[in-house]
Amino acid sequence: MINTTIQKDHLPHNQYLLENYIPSKLSFDELKSGTDIRDHWKIFARSLERLSPGEFNRRWNEAKEQLRINGVTYNLHSDTRGMDRPWQLDPIPLLISENEENHLIKGLAQRANLLELILQDIYGPQRILKEKLLHPELIFANPNFHRACHGFKPAGNKYLYLLAVDLARNSNGTMHAISDRLQSPSGTGYALENRIVMTQMLPDIFNNCNVQRLAMFFRSFKETLKSIAPNNKDNPRTVLLTPGPRSETYFEHSYLARYLGLTLVEGGDLTVRDNKVYLKFLDGLHPVDVIMRRLDDRFCDPLELQANSLLGVPGLLQCARKGGVAIANSLGCSFMEAPSLTTYLPALCKIFLGQDLIIPGVPSYWCGDHDSLKYVLNNLDNMVLKNAFTSRRSEPIFIETLSNKKREEFIAQLKNSPQSYVAQEKLQLSTVPVMGENGIEARPLVLRKFLCSHNSGYSVMPGGLCRYSSCPSTQLISVQQGGGSKDTWVLSSGEVSTFSLLNQGTDPIEISRGGSDLPSRSADNLFWLGRYTERADGLARLLRGIFLKLIESLKIADSAEIKSLLKILSQYSQSFSSINSENSEKEEPGNHLISMVYDRDRIGTFANDLQAIYRTASSSRDRISIDMWRVISTLEIPSNPELNMMLEQPEHSNLITILDLLNHNIVVLAAFGGLIAESMTRGHAWRFLDMGRKIERASQTIRLLKGCMIDVSISEIPLYESILEIADSLMTFRRRYLNKINPAAVLDLLLSDSSNPRSLVFQLNSLQNNINDLSKMKDTGRITPQEKSIMSMHTSVLLADIEHLVSSNESGKRIYLENLLNNLFLELSQLSESIAHHYLGHLQLSRHLSGSNL
Amino acid sequence: MKYLIKHTTCYNYMDTVSLCRNIIHVSPREYENQRNIFENITVTPTPEIIEFQKDYFGNKVYFFTIEKPHKNLTIIAEYETEVTPKNYTGFLDQPWKKVIDLLHIDSSIETIQALEYLYDSYYVHKHEDWKEYASKSFQPGNLFLNSVMDLTSRIFNDFKYQPNATTIATPLHEVFLQKSGVCQDFSHFQIACLRSLGIPTRYVSGYLLTTPNPDKPNLIGSDASHAWIQVYYPGIGWFDFDPTNNLRPSDQHIIIGWGRDYDDVSPVKGVILGGENHTITVGVSVIGAE
Repeated sequence: MINTTIQKDHLPHNQYLLENYIPSKLSFDELKSGTDIRDHWKIFARSLERLSPGEFNRRWNEAKEQLRINGVTYNLHSDTRGMDRPWQLDPIPLLISENEENHLIKGLAQRANLLELILQDIYGPQRILKEKLLHPELIFANPNFHRACHGFKPAGNKYLYLLAVDLARNSNGTMHAISDRLQSPSGTGYALENRIVMTQMLPDIFNNCNVQRLAMFFRSFKETLKSIAPNNKDNPRTVLLTPGPRSETYFEHSYLARYLGLTLVEGGDLTVRDNKVYLKFLDGLHPVDVIMRRLDDRFCDPLELQANSLLGVPGLLQCARKGGVAIANSLGCSFMEAPSLTTYLPALCKIFLGQDLIIPGVPSYWCGDHDSLKYVLNNLDNMVLKNAFTSRRSEPIFIETLSNKKREEFIAQLKNSPQSYVAQEKLQLSTVPVMGENGIEARPLVLRKFLCSHNSGYSVMPGGLCRYSSCPSTQLISVQQGGGSKDTWVLSSGEVSTFSLLNQGTDPIEISRGGSDLPSRSADNLFWLGRYTERADGLARLLRGIFLKLIESLKIADSAEIKSLLKILSQYSQSFSSINSENSEKEEPGNHLISMVYDRDRIGTFANDLQAIYRTASSSRDRISIDMWRVISTLEIPSNPELNMMLEQPEHSNLITILDLLNHNIVVLAAFGGLIAESMTRGHAWRFLDMGRKIERASQTIRLLKGCMIDVSISEIPLYESILEIADSLMTFRRRYLNKINPAAVLDLLLSDSSNPRSLVFQLNSLQNNINDLSKMKDTGRITPQEKSIMSMHTSVLLADIEHLVSSNESGKRIYLENLLNNLFLELSQLSESIAHHYLGHLQLSRHLSGSNL
Repeated sequence: MKYLIKHTTCYNYMDTVSLCRNIIHVSPREYENQRNIFENITVTPTPEIIEFQKDYFGNKVYFFTIEKPHKNLTIIAEYETEVTPKNYTGFLDQPWKKVIDLLHIDSSIETIQALEYLYDSYYVHKHEDWKEYASKSFQPGNLFLNSVMDLTSRIFNDFKYQPNATTIATPLHEVFLQKSGVCQDFSHFQIACLRSLGIPTRYVSGYLLTTPNPDKPNLIGSDASHAWIQVYYPGIGWFDFDPTNNLRPSDQHIIIGWGRDYDDVSPVKGVILGGENHTITVGVSVIGAE
């Protein structure tokens, strides 16, 4: 995220770029046959030559920057911190000729049709079982044969609306289908983003090559989604159901939701009433007609599918059964993803369609069959072994890469439960030029093609997601394992449609100024995004104040001011409350401070807050503008290696680095605040974001005042300067009072001055406006608890007499001020809870009834 | 035999439940050996929706949803049910190996569908240990049903019936180590043994006669819903065995439904919003209705 290494200008001259590319003789190469460039690549190759190497590199770096800024990412499972891996896009696309595409279209449509018919049979009459067209074990032992999905027709009478098929060539160039992604196919969004970046990078070449556009495919899919709505057919509400920001392809979910104009929801946002699905909005429940799901079958309904799923919607399956909602793809289709079933597709194709498969599968053998097992054991080195039933979460096993011991172990395991394995003959994958670390090189590839169904058949996306392996020698292609991707250009001899979904202007649009159509979850995320940005800002300012003081007086113990600031700091994190106490020897205060900046894993630290900002902002991608996201993506979130490095070095050499980091992020957060103020429509989304910010800023001002003004002491005057600086009010103060610092003036500026955007009363004013606006949504004529609460706080601050507040008792304590601040702090946290409860309250967690023990 | 059955389930929640959604398996299944003369289900508070359906296995289920806040949930199910004993006349038992061979030769739909109960399911996984345990009852040449009965008796003798020794989540290996549990544990264990040998076996949930018979002691497990197993004999049908009571059920067992294991036929399955912790009380009474 932080370090974008600028690629060195290491590429040879472009006229030699493709000429110097030498593919291996063992595989089929996409670009070259021998040393000759294939016909359909020639225009591309000639156009590329005209680009100078410097220009090419400059554009590629821009493209990479574009991807980073757009936040195109792929989450890795192993990374529990939710930090995303930047998406890898190679600058040379994969080209598919028109003839080949036409062949693929026929083959893919046939395959989709076949898979659909098999699913309809398995969840319906089960002819395949009764006539033993498949071994019963392949059906009954398949963990994705969801019995609860049997016996009803899904909405639209189809199971598959969007499919992904992975294709690969063998050494003579024939395309084979290697696997199907059916329950929640991923990749369309990445393919689209790759295309957008590539057309920006190579617009001239793209035009020269007459490449088919992708937009029509998405329009077709959108129409399909609309057509299957069981209710509100004219204007159905369609949502995209995501497992959430921790999902590996979450970027794509939010991206597609925006592109297709769907509401992005998580399971907890939906509820079932009266066999219909509803989305929880701020102002109540709104019906949902179509769900495009990116959730696996088993997670969709904790009542009837996997009980321990927290991601799904209880009762969803019953809604589908009763026809209350359409789900694309329909529940149950993961059954057909089992790799063992591909073995039998040629036979099933003959039976169901009376045809041979147009795109052959890779020869494969289900080891549960006695003869197949024998054959596989005799030809192990030519095989890739896969789990018979699930293609996900289990990597294929390449026998020849195993050590002797591992190999023996695996063979024993295979013999022990042969039915759990399917063996595929190895393909010598075709290769394609890739810009690697050491220049251009040939890497194996897999092409994912997408289709969507419509009334009269299937449309195939004229493009696809091409993925290549992480190094030339590996045949395992997976984004998880560090491979990359390419845009896929399908060439056309005729006119190409330039239709775009991004700027449709023909459909009549109903003018709307509502803004109450905010899902509760989005409101919740925005509220917390507001709180975290403001909290991080306040913390950064406080830390900066402390580090600046440290530069002046190097020993923490020497300065009463620093002690006071550390006391304020301790309120940010419970784990740091020991800083000022007697027995804080365990961790040196300097290290405490560094941890407070850098340690991601401790709650309340600056790094932890920044992560929370990133997380809540990612969850709000559909509600914040691209520019706002860009700003967020320039936050520098310290990493754990940096923490360790900092802790090892002597303290003082770090100060400048730390201050740089704090300053950078303070500016970024200010920019974000600026966009909120200047560019966001004043709807509910803005309101919740703003309330989060104001509540947090108010509580920070209270903390600062509590930390420096309660005890009257000689050190308080120099401390005020720091406090004013932290509260970004020093300039104002100096202008008004020059250098005369006195408690009443400080308190007035930070507490009661409604013209100071950092003062407490300013926050309360804004909160009051927001709360009043929200209350209008459900106008009952009565004052809401939130209105009461803010009125009470507001009044107590307005009526407070500054002179009275700064007076102290005989032991040197400003008890009136202390009382006021304590009360305000308490009321503020109650207000925060009350807002959450009142507006976001139906986001309750569901739990299971435990059964009786017999 | 005719029976009057009353099955009461009460949930008491610590906190208010705002929404609950349930699937219940409490009604006796109707098939050739069983029919319901009377049936009635009362749920309090009254559900917004209650729907009757048949599940994948052909068992009777009710779906219901309560959308108003509540702190108690009561389900009362009442039936008058007639049970006729199964009658396999003119049937000769065969050596168990032969019966297993038949399974793979016979291509009748009944046999193909019986294979549903041969593979691993949510609570029951095949294992070499279970095969080894079962093998003592399945010596070469032993007759099929005799062997299953022998296994039933061994489980009855080796395991102690001990309520609260286990929960539904206790894994079979633990049940096997502690040699104690309740009817669902014994049934799951016997299913695991038989499937490990290659015999399709299903889990049966049901009721038992509760009125004391002057001649015989009360059967174990009659104060709540009960569980036992059925094994498949190709070409003949399903035979019942009750490892908790060491007997072959005839007409004192009333079947609610069958499935691969408890998960397919658990009496009450539900998801609630809110509620915090809850307590549950279950009462079953089954009396003869001559």
